[in-house]
Amino acid sequence: MIGLRGIHKTYGKVTALDGLELDVREGEFFCLLGPSGAGKTTTLKTVAGLERPDSGTVLLDGKDMAGVEPYDRGVAMCFESYALYPHRSAYDNLASPLRSPRHRLPAAEARERIGAIAELLGISGLLDRRVGQLSNGQRQRIALGRVLVRPARAFLLDEPLSHLDAKLRQQMRAELKAIGAVQHTTTLYVTHDSVEALALGDRIGVIRDGRIVQTGTREEIWYRPCDTEVARAFGRPRINLLPGVVTEDGGFRTADGKVELPLAAKAQPGTDVLVGVRPRDIVLGGAAGHELTGTVYVTEVLGRGVEVTVRLGGQQVSLVAPRGDTTGLGPDDPVRLTVRPENLLLFEADRPGRPGRLIGTR
Amino acid sequence: MTLRKRLLSGLADLALILYFVFALFPIAWMVILSLKPANQLFSTYFSFTPTLSSYRTVLGDSEGIPFVRFFVNSLVVSVGAVLLSLVVGLPAAYASARWRFKGSENLMFTLLSFRFAPELTVIIPLFVLYQKLGLFDTYVGMIWVLQLVTLPLIVWIMRSYFADLTPELEQAALLDGYTRKQAFFKVALPLVRPGIAAVSLLAFIFAWNNFVFPLILTSSEAQTVTVGALSFLGGDRPKYNLTAAAALISVVPPLLLALTIQRYLVRGLSFGAVKS
Amino acid sequence: MGWRLTLRPYFLIVPALLLTCGILYPFGLGLYYTLFDFSASKPQPDMVRLHNYETVFTQDAFWNSAWVTVLYAVGAAAVETVLGVAVALLLHRSSLVGRVLEKILILPLMIAPVIAAIIWKLMLQPSVGVVNHLLKPFGLGGVQWTDTPTGALLSSIAVDVWVYTPFVAILALAGLRSLPTSPFEAAAVDGAGWWYTFRRLTLPMLWPYVLVAVIFRFMDSLKVFDIIYALTEGGPGDSTVVLQIRAYLEAIRFQRYSFGISYTIVLWAVVYLAAMVLVRHLGRIQRKAAEAK
Repeated sequence: MIGLRGIHKTYGKVTALDGLELDVREGEFFCLLGPSGAGKTTTLKTVAGLERPDSGTVLLDGKDMAGVEPYDRGVAMCFESYALYPHRSAYDNLASPLRSPRHRLPAAEARERIGAIAELLGISGLLDRRVGQLSNGQRQRIALGRVLVRPARAFLLDEPLSHLDAKLRQQMRAELKAIGAVQHTTTLYVTHDSVEALALGDRIGVIRDGRIVQTGTREEIWYRPCDTEVARAFGRPRINLLPGVVTEDGGFRTADGKVELPLAAKAQPGTDVLVGVRPRDIVLGGAAGHELTGTVYVTEVLGRGVEVTVRLGGQQVSLVAPRGDTTGLGPDDPVRLTVRPENLLLFEADRPGRPGRLIGTR
Repeated sequence: MTLRKRLLSGLADLALILYFVFALFPIAWMVILSLKPANQLFSTYFSFTPTLSSYRTVLGDSEGIPFVRFFVNSLVVSVGAVLLSLVVGLPAAYASARWRFKGSENLMFTLLSFRFAPELTVIIPLFVLYQKLGLFDTYVGMIWVLQLVTLPLIVWIMRSYFADLTPELEQAALLDGYTRKQAFFKVALPLVRPGIAAVSLLAFIFAWNNFVFPLILTSSEAQTVTVGALSFLGGDRPKYNLTAAAALISVVPPLLLALTIQRYLVRGLSFGAVKS
Repeated sequence: MGWRLTLRPYFLIVPALLLTCGILYPFGLGLYYTLFDFSASKPQPDMVRLHNYETVFTQDAFWNSAWVTVLYAVGAAAVETVLGVAVALLLHRSSLVGRVLEKILILPLMIAPVIAAIIWKLMLQPSVGVVNHLLKPFGLGGVQWTDTPTGALLSSIAVDVWVYTPFVAILALAGLRSLPTSPFEAAAVDGAGWWYTFRRLTLPMLWPYVLVAVIFRFMDSLKVFDIIYALTEGGPGDSTVVLQIRAYLEAIRFQRYSFGISYTIVLWAVVYLAAMVLVRHLGRIQRKAAEAK
């Protein structure tokens, strides 16, 4: 549906997109995740025709979009700044696409459409107000309404929830997915929030320095992150990454020898590696899996679970355990941990400017 | 402690009042001078019989100085200069705020250098040139040269206003199906309207207050109030009361306008370098 | 679409470019004239190359004018900066008096400098002026304000200060109002004194704003004309003949066009150099301020 082939874009000396390749399938909700400055917004604007790539091809429904004006691409976009006209009413903002010379819907029909959209988003009461008088959450809904009000073959959403407070963001996340139009229309959604990406995306693309480093379903990204940086990006508390080397017998050992683990993946003995294990995959006590022993460093209550940081020699790992399992646990208490071998991820060691890549399991 | 604080705060207020006496007394004194009858001009200072005769004389052209005409000239020339600068400057300001390219950067720098160039560098050659072209002592000649004052101001300040608008506003309009021209006129322009109003008034004030250009490039037909007011000081016996009346009349328009654009002054005066 | 997208911005600046050329043309013409001995008495001039500049630099009159100009500019800019910042600090307290007075702060600045000079000329008149009248009780009557060389220069600077102190004050006040409050709260909690807070916090953070004002004031007063023309016309003698007045006298009074323009070109070069140095300094200061934030 949306295809980007080898897109390069520079602003002066700054490279925004560096040979970006992206495919969004018909009808799917695709999340583009990356830190600020990774090229997310530029990607969206390139699709919309608001930025012209220096080289590369933009395809919509398989057609080359070079030279096609933004409106004629038939995509609707929600900007991070919302781009609402502050001097006009909410109604006028929603009506803007319908009144444009290219669209020109009869006033009655437009009113009906806007009414329906306003109903859907729960903003019917706000239509007469000027945008300048609305709260951030209300503006966000108006901006979304402006995207939904006219038929589009794809929605481009640029961090639509980033200016909302945590509670409102969670609520809007649920609502957004429930909107029928969004369910049926190809959506390219940009965010820097990995929780949002995991919650919303049918598939997720991780963008870094103007390139897509990994594309996949949330399960693929979660269980097989392509490198340590992607692994760190998803999940809180963050994934534990223990530095060490591959031993002669293909196992793993930290520098002080306090942690030893068997490895399923094959790696050259003597290689510097990082072993990754997610906090929720480490079990306090437990029966099955490899055993480790250490002492408690600190515990922290996280709602239903408790985050326990455990010292393993010179290393620290964190784990999340159910509250019941941690009663009476205090600093310096000895603990026994178990990890199932299939939950271990093996990465090359990080090098400056280049995060360690995943070494295949099994 | 509180006594000391109140004392200090009183002293600070006193210092402020002292400064403002210094700042306002000359204006007040002009009012007094302009209301004095000619026979009490030098015999008294603060007690006199107020009269409007000085204003009548100045506005009645009776001293052989056509002051009303000068006033109209100032108006025409200043408004003309501002309008021309707006028509020419707004597109340039918009272009250089939205697209950084070599042409616009060079233009901006040249305009900024006008702001600091000694006026006579341009006026003396123009003095020669205007006489050849028949532009000496004409509205057109004055409006042209006043661009040196109004154009840099309008372009620089409007660029800073346009740069404060996120380009996403116009991009949204493009996606809504408007053309680039419509996006400029329907979206960007209405949003900077307060800025346009403020900078136009400020440019008007500067054009109105200008003195060197009309001094050298006009003689009678297109002469303005700033030069006109000075001519009351000439002659064998300087007419203090008439000079004061003429000076006051000529500062009324800029003062009134200035009070209406207070909020926007900081950006205007600093050429966009400081925003408030 | 491609060529239209890249060309559109050029179209937009074309009118402004043309108008700018209309101003650059006389400037270039002036530069060209300085290579000749063009004057009213010699309308068919001969090329003299750099002779005009040679004459400028070997004239005592030039060095005198340059010295007067520098004295004027440094004096005016310095007094205006100190006074303007002081007024801004006093207004920043937002006392009732301050709030009322702030509304009329700009008045002198909006009066044409030439009118301001006229006003002061009337007030400073030695025998009938109001200033000497008011000074009489202090035993200071009869001061020859604009009739002595030093007095004339100081009076001109005073008028400049009267007109332009609000300029510095307005920019400094805007700066003060935009300063973050937390460092001051922290200093107050630490019990820092007024002087310490001012020296260590207010002044360094305010400096970029003040510097903008100082640069504008210094460079503008290098090319002062209106105030001196109306107040002293350069006199008495040559005591207040700043460079632009000298250029005016040479070019317009004596109608030695080429020679007069040479003066302004030299002044232009000085202003340009001053601008380069000051703006670079400002850039450094602003970068430092940005890093500190």
